[in-house]
Order: sequence, then C-alpha cells, then structure tokens
Amino acid sequence: MEEAQFTITNSAGLHARPAAHFVRTAAGFESSVRVRNLSRDAEREADAKSILSVMTLGIEQGHIISITVDGPDEAAAIEALRALVEGNIDK
Amino acid sequence: MAVALVIVSHSQQVADGVRDIAEQMAGDQVVIRAAGGAADGSLGTNAEAIARAITEADQGDGVLILVDLGSAVLSTETALEMLGLDADRKVQLSNAPLVEGAVVAAVTASTGQTLEEVASAALDAKDMTKVVR
Repeated sequence: MEEAQFTITNSAGLHARPAAHFVRTAAGFESSVRVRNLSRDAEREADAKSILSVMTLGIEQGHIISITVDGPDEAAAIEALRALVEGNIDK
Repeated sequence: MAVALVIVSHSQQVADGVRDIAEQMAGDQVVIRAAGGAADGSLGTNAEAIARAITEADQGDGVLILVDLGSAVLSTETALEMLGLDADRKVQLSNAPLVEGAVVAAVTASTGQTLEEVASAALDAKDMTKVVR
C-alpha cells in the first residue's frame, strides 16, 4: 500500500472535467485507489474510480488531498495521479 | 468502445445541452446521441427520433437511455418496440435524473465499465451531493 499527498493547484479544483480526468486515470489501474480531502474532512474517504464519490469531497484549489493506493500497480498509479494533479488537469 | 448514451427530452435544446455537458465530461470515448422535441419541433417526444438515436448510438457494448419525464418513458418504450432489438443488443432505460445521471453515466462509461455498472452509477446520481459544506 502506498500513500501520497498532493496539493490541488488547478483553479477549478477537482470538479466536473478535472474530476472526470482524475476518475478515468484512477480507473485505468488494477489497484484500489482511495482519496481523502485533508483540507475539508480528513476522515471521509472516497473511491477515486467513482465520479460521484470523488465529487462528494468538495476538492477546491489549494486543498491537500491524500491518495491511498493498494494493489499490484500501486506505484504506477500514484505517479500517474501525481502527474495529472500537478500538471494541467483541466486540459 | 464503451457503453453509449441516448438523451431523451421534451425539448430539443435540453436534450442537446445535456448531451454537450456529458460529452465534455466523457471526452471522445463515449458516443452520446440526443433525441429531443416532437416531430414538428414543438415540445414533446418522438418515438421515431428516439429509435434513430438508439440505432446511431449503439456500438455493441450497450446503450443506456436517460429521459426527462412523463411521456418520454412511453415514447422510449415505443421506440424499443419499433426496433425489435435482438436479445444480444443490450439497451436499458434508466430511472436516473437526467443531467446528473447523464454526467455520471458518461464518466463511468468512459472508464470502460459494463452497461450494468454504468446504469447502476447513473441511478446513484439521485443522491449526488452538489453543495459540499
């Protein structure tokens, strides 16, 4: 199991299109991917492969999220999500 | 490919608009067709247009149909009867809310899920949290 924390720099946060990109990226991996919004409610965990689940976290610009990945391709999943979140996710 | 979507509304503008929103969310991996308005362009639903949209949308991985209300359901059922779909053509009529359901279905379909999974996610959109405080 691997855990990583990212700061959301995207101006729209993780809503709508950026959230869809995030979900698609997470869904591309076999590992389970859980996400929490440490800036809002660190206890609430969402399935990163479910758009509805991710949207409940209310992730906005400047928020710090925690991603927990568990499975055979966990390292690659963390890196892909890091690249997405730290790059231009709204693309 | 992916599960395709058909958006049925009494208004052509609503059907087209919901399709546009869902397409933006899904990227170009999900085929989405809109069937809105009556045959004469007034507010209403049109079984023939719906049947056409289903046929155009169908890529072989299943079609989820989302409707606004009332006679949209009846017209869609008529369209399905007109098409006399084979048992292996998987088409489902959803009870999900139109905009929320279409967005969730489109994103879920874009992740390569099955028709059953896409339909289930769309239905869960009934409980979508929009105002997070």
